[in-house]
Amino acid sequence: MLSLGLTALLLTLSPESQGTVAAPVPPQVDECVMETDDGDRFRVCFDPGNALLLGTGLQVRDGVALPTFQAGILLRTERTSRSKGMLWLNTHRILVTEATPGTARRGLTTTLYEGTFRRHLEEGFILIPTSRPLRVPFPFDVTLAVRAGHLERRVWEGPGLTVETGRAALLLDPVRSASGRLWLGFGPAASHSLRRMPDGTLEHEISPFSSGVLETGYETADGWWTVRASGMAGWINSLDGDRRFRARADTSIERILFALNDQPLWLQLYGSYAYQDVGLALRTEWTAGARLLVRSFSAL
Amino acid sequence: MIIQAAALGWALLLSQVEGQEMAPQPETQQAGGDSAAGAGQEQPGNGAQAPRPTRSGNDLTGLLTPEEPRPALRYDQPILCTRLPPTRQVPSGEYRMQCDPVTRRCLIAPAHELDSNGEETDRPLLRTSYCERAEASANVRMQEGYRFVPAIAESPPGWYRDEQGRVMQFNFDLHRRIYLGGAWAPLLRSGQGVEQDRMRVDFGIRTEFPGGDEDTRLHRLTFLETELYLGEPSLEVTVMRYDFSVERKVPLFRITTFFGKPRRFDLGLNLGAWVEALHQETIEREGSELSLLTWGAAHGTLDLWHSKDLVSYVRFRAGAGAERDRTHGQNTLVPAVVFEGDLTLDKDGFHHLLFSAEARKVLLDDPVTGRTLHPERLKLRAGYELILLAINDQPVSMVVDGRGAWRSDIPNVPAKWEWSANAGLRASLWAPARRSAPLASSR
Repeated sequence: MLSLGLTALLLTLSPESQGTVAAPVPPQVDECVMETDDGDRFRVCFDPGNALLLGTGLQVRDGVALPTFQAGILLRTERTSRSKGMLWLNTHRILVTEATPGTARRGLTTTLYEGTFRRHLEEGFILIPTSRPLRVPFPFDVTLAVRAGHLERRVWEGPGLTVETGRAALLLDPVRSASGRLWLGFGPAASHSLRRMPDGTLEHEISPFSSGVLETGYETADGWWTVRASGMAGWINSLDGDRRFRARADTSIERILFALNDQPLWLQLYGSYAYQDVGLALRTEWTAGARLLVRSFSAL
Repeated sequence: MIIQAAALGWALLLSQVEGQEMAPQPETQQAGGDSAAGAGQEQPGNGAQAPRPTRSGNDLTGLLTPEEPRPALRYDQPILCTRLPPTRQVPSGEYRMQCDPVTRRCLIAPAHELDSNGEETDRPLLRTSYCERAEASANVRMQEGYRFVPAIAESPPGWYRDEQGRVMQFNFDLHRRIYLGGAWAPLLRSGQGVEQDRMRVDFGIRTEFPGGDEDTRLHRLTFLETELYLGEPSLEVTVMRYDFSVERKVPLFRITTFFGKPRRFDLGLNLGAWVEALHQETIEREGSELSLLTWGAAHGTLDLWHSKDLVSYVRFRAGAGAERDRTHGQNTLVPAVVFEGDLTLDKDGFHHLLFSAEARKVLLDDPVTGRTLHPERLKLRAGYELILLAINDQPVSMVVDGRGAWRSDIPNVPAKWEWSANAGLRASLWAPARRSAPLASSR
């Protein structure tokens, strides 16, 4: 009876459903490419984290209006580790530089390299190596954030400069997004800084994981909107034993305006606040401004 | 009754005779096949292989069906050279023939020019297209009942042939020519009288040619453009000038907006280039002379408008040149901004309108006694050129233009406006038909 039933069922199946002919697959539509009425194609999706960055704008710093220029190389990569088969979501920012020309507040801030490496798991866990290993849920992605060669030069303060030779932070990300477009990380950071004072003396400062870092951001899938925020606060020690508290916070929002030959232009509004951490004089100051940013080669 | 029967019998007999004459002969059958294929598919060598055809008559006159106005053979359609029965006007019987199998009409034109009495001369027609020699076809056409219409032989685009078969050019490209002209050029300087004893001699070699693969381009070259003024003397010579106009198929700028549904706006700027090498200018005013040699100048051009064939344009041009002030022994940089236009107003190239407004400033110059640092030059010009007549197909044109100039670079001469009106004639050599010239038959 069973064989008869199976035979009848097989006979009632259409040839296509028996797998002899593949079911028709709907054509894939590239939502990132649109067409004009004339059939000319143009890109409408962009990756703000993958671009050659050029920007200019105006900022107000402690009540002084300053023109600014910005440039840098942004890279975003995804890779699956060979050893563990896990997804790494990485960002690299190379030589991101901001300059404020003019005579009143001429200055330059540049970072040789800044990168984040987020290790993403479907289900994070902590292994407890008991005789029978225990698997404890761990609802975070882990991010390693590093920065090397951050230079700050303020001409109007006279000779001297500040260099953060290196910083490393271990961040936990509870959002655990499988996309590089959304992230939220917080955790301790260690850093080493040099301050070359106007009299030529060098001052070393170390933060041995005595500072906390917050990094968060969200970019829409098409890249039209971007929101970012970051902060750092904590204690930093000099070699002679002094300790001081300092903090910084930055936030920005961006909206794409238009694209010229598929090269998009964003408007960025931003603000930052620094507490006893800016320049050789360790100033407290706030900054707000607007920039026009071109991120070349960011079209998807 | 007897009369009616006899008449019917004669009619049948006559019709039988006619039917026998129309019966195809072996030669006719062979030729009839290629006739059906159309005049354009005649087999070469047909006439040489077939025996000499039997003529239907000794005089073509009775076979002709003249039309008014007399039609012309088309230059762009196949043409046969054939021999037809001689006539008093065309005793050689040599004709050029173009047949239309649809209308069953053959246009025939004598293969030689005619004199004023309409009789054949020994001068062959000039500027005709290629023809195939096919004498059998003419005989076949006659036997197939084609009408023979006296016509004027074909002429190439831009050329016209009269009823005597003489060909003449009616379309001229003045952008491809060697010209020599003269003009009366009175000069008025602000605050001074009119200098009436002033003449201009001009010379130049111009050519242009299309090019480009993805884009449509028109390249222009000018050599030895010279204007020599006598009276209040001045001289301008340009050894070489090159520029191009372009119609870009790919828009230069594609702007995508992201408010609402993304939309793309194309902005096609037709940017070109303009370069000049070795431009000598010598000018003398109020006893002070200035000699300037431009080693080279490079400008970018932006076409605000250009014609479909790119020949006519209205554009902006801006750039800089490296100049040698030979009078004062110094090298300078001279940026310039120009608004200019060159318009051909009719399809036959008889009417031309030119205008320009130019501003230059001398930079990197050393102080010179009697003039300001960084002097300036302004030039305005509007002119019209009209072809009056052509001598042996070489056009002679009338040139009128008005010019204004203001310059502060001549030492010890106060900067002031000077105006001149020029009127003269210009003879042009070469000046072939324009690339867009129509066929005379399609005018």
